Amino acid sequence: MNQRNAKILLIEDNPNDVELTLRTFEKYNLANEIAVARDGEEALDMLFQRRKEGAEHQMPDFILLDLKLPKVDGLEVLKQIKSNLKTKRIPVVVLTSSKEESDLVASYNLGVNSYICKPVNFEKFIEAVKQLGIYWLLLNEAPPMQ
Amino acid sequence: MAEKEIRVLLVEDNPGDVRLIREMLSESRGFSFNLECADRLSAGLDRLNTPGVDVLLLDLGLPDSLGFDTYKKVHDRAPAVPIIMLTNTDDELLAVRAVKQGAQDYLVKGRVDGNLLVRSMQYAIERKRAEESLKKAHEELEIKVQERTAELRAVNSELEAFAYSVSHDLKAPLRAIDGFSQILLQDYRDILDKKGQHYLKQVRAGAQDMGQLIDDLLNLSRIGRQAMIKKPIDLKSIAQDAYSSLEHEWKDRNVSFKVKQCPPVPADPRLLKIVLTNLLSNALKFTRTRDKAKIEAGSKVEDKQTVFYIKDNGVGFDMKYSDKLFTVFQRLHRKEDYEGTGIGLAIVQRIINRHGGEVWAESKEGSGTTLFFTLGRCKP
Repeated sequence: MNQRNAKILLIEDNPNDVELTLRTFEKYNLANEIAVARDGEEALDMLFQRRKEGAEHQMPDFILLDLKLPKVDGLEVLKQIKSNLKTKRIPVVVLTSSKEESDLVASYNLGVNSYICKPVNFEKFIEAVKQLGIYWLLLNEAPPMQ
Repeated sequence: MAEKEIRVLLVEDNPGDVRLIREMLSESRGFSFNLECADRLSAGLDRLNTPGVDVLLLDLGLPDSLGFDTYKKVHDRAPAVPIIMLTNTDDELLAVRAVKQGAQDYLVKGRVDGNLLVRSMQYAIERKRAEESLKKAHEELEIKVQERTAELRAVNSELEAFAYSVSHDLKAPLRAIDGFSQILLQDYRDILDKKGQHYLKQVRAGAQDMGQLIDDLLNLSRIGRQAMIKKPIDLKSIAQDAYSSLEHEWKDRNVSFKVKQCPPVPADPRLLKIVLTNLLSNALKFTRTRDKAKIEAGSKVEDKQTVFYIKDNGVGFDMKYSDKLFTVFQRLHRKEDYEGTGIGLAIVQRIINRHGGEVWAESKEGSGTTLFFTLGRCKP
């Protein structure tokens, strides 16, 4: 997968965090196409084409998921992604504030590929996002898509 | 006032002994007895199926039962009825065993007179009443404890949810503050003068500090709520572990660290390691200005208690502020001189208190500080 063509789905409810993440991806040329879902329900709609409108829908190559989401919770979204044949191979990285052990356990039990805590320090945040981008979009061998 | 009639069940097969006892009871002055008899264990057990027996006189040598089994069967059938064993001189050991298992008394046949019999029965009845009352109180207490434990668990759960929520919701705006300030610093550097850049840096520092404070508070809260598992610990080895984990703080310095062997005490090893890591980290921090830092750890016995100490030759503090030492976020030194939010000693105190112990400090400005702690009153 060429990182420039990679399609990323960012599932994040906090508009500030969305803006900061998008800016980082843009500024460091990490990916071309980023779709954003602002809550769990919207994410599932986008992934499973639950809304019938719109053009042909492509699966993302990589998903960044926040855990605390309105409507449908992050862990529930993760569960559905990892249990559905169409989506289970897509690498999911949880990018969240929570360091609670229960969230870590639940996420890994559901098959999350990686779990990153959002630092308050923006430089560290940029560094984390950059490393994520380079690793998952460039270094990691992407799963073959059907 | 007339005393209530005392209902006695006598399980005895020897008719001579039965007659003797009947006579003794009828001669007694001041008390009235209703005597029922059974000459076999099976008859006695049948009678016990219906209530109405205040005290039971039980012969050990019945034709349909032998020895200790006799007592056990009767006790199982009527656990709330006081039992007095009637025994021959060669059965005493068995009778004593029955008493140990719950029988109220035993009487040796041939050595009993009316007074002794009546006294023994009165005493047996009262003692059994006291026992039952104690048992009931204990059961009620058990229920209360279970209710309280359930309540505590619920509160703990709520606190956990609260802390989790706090952490998440308070940190989100901080990311915005820090992030956008940094973007300003990067993208608008040209139009920001030195002062402007400085102010933005201060904004960032403020946001990051707050993030740290939130983490520290969460940590303190979590430590207060964690379950404690006590086992006998070797403080010397925990101290050495803690010191190793602080390698980055002494690696390039001239620090001498000595630990003495300490007597084992019951404590939670994980929590003790947190205590020692905090105390040693402080010792390392406040000895930074010394050419040769000296840190000692050990224990001494004072007042029959084991008192542990961590001593350093660092910058020390003014004892008149010692009561602020363990307060959350209170610091006795300037932040620009020594970093930290002031949560370390609050955490130490929380853990030591949970162990039932105490922590205190002695210090002299310019000479150094010693932190002392106990881990609860140990039996000598």
